[in-house]
Amino acid sequence: MSEAAASSEVTQVAAATSSQDPEVGLAAVAALRGLVEVLEALQVENARAKGWSWQQIAARLGVTKQAVHHKYAGRRFGFRR
Amino acid sequence: MVQRSEHADRVLDLAREEADRFGHRYLGPEHLVLAVLRDGRSGACRVLGAHGVDLAAARAALGRLVDRGVVPGPRPSDAELLGALGINLEAIRRTTEQSFGGQAVGRAVREATRARRRGVGRVPRTPLRDPPMLISQVLVHAGDQARGLGIGVIGPELLLLGVVTDIRTPWPRCMNNRWRRQLYASVGLPQGYGGAAGPLLQALGVNLDQLERALLVELGAGVP
Repeated sequence: MSEAAASSEVTQVAAATSSQDPEVGLAAVAALRGLVEVLEALQVENARAKGWSWQQIAARLGVTKQAVHHKYAGRRFGFRR
Repeated sequence: MVQRSEHADRVLDLAREEADRFGHRYLGPEHLVLAVLRDGRSGACRVLGAHGVDLAAARAALGRLVDRGVVPGPRPSDAELLGALGINLEAIRRTTEQSFGGQAVGRAVREATRARRRGVGRVPRTPLRDPPMLISQVLVHAGDQARGLGIGVIGPELLLLGVVTDIRTPWPRCMNNRWRRQLYASVGLPQGYGGAAGPLLQALGVNLDQLERALLVELGAGVP
């Protein structure tokens, strides 16, 4: 992506987030949260499959290793301890 | 095991379209009734027609239920909402599925929406999954009826019979837990929503007993 295109996209995001009425703005934030949580789970699973430690993952996510372990380490869905 | 026929699947697709038309971000039994009418080629539609119900009247009645607050008004879709933030949902779906595969995305969706201890980072719903289908009870009842009548395939008539049984049967307690309430709130459904097909058919002046009898006759006529 060119710099001009990137900067116009940033302005667009800024305009949309600031000028929306709460009805749309809050719903958009909720949808965004739903998207982010899935993408995070996807990346954490991928990192674990590649042999990353919880500490390495936590450092990239900017949280403690206990936090990311608490959130994702489980018996289900292929997340290895 | 009782399977759904292709015709019934087509009715479900039409129900999704009807939900979309009303700007509803869930699929409920009320949309199934509209879909049966819109499909127009089943015995179920004939039975509803004999009770004086047509698609235009049913849509108008559902519109009035929106005004009464029984079902929510139109809401923007997740793709539209994210589009307002400059995010292309379809592009994200495509690239993640290309990079990680559909199965991995499915696992991540379940992981993000599964019940967790103290609910850490749990979301009731994600834009990467289809709108919630709140017709599980209808499908269960349709399957029960099919087994009871010795019919191997669920068609539109059994779906409508499932809707009628669903209206008469209170939703089980497991349908009223914290996660489901969060899910309902996230699509704008009022508290205590248990399907709006009942109020819809009532507004259209349909007698449930007569409708059920007519459907059973229709099904009996269809069985060799």
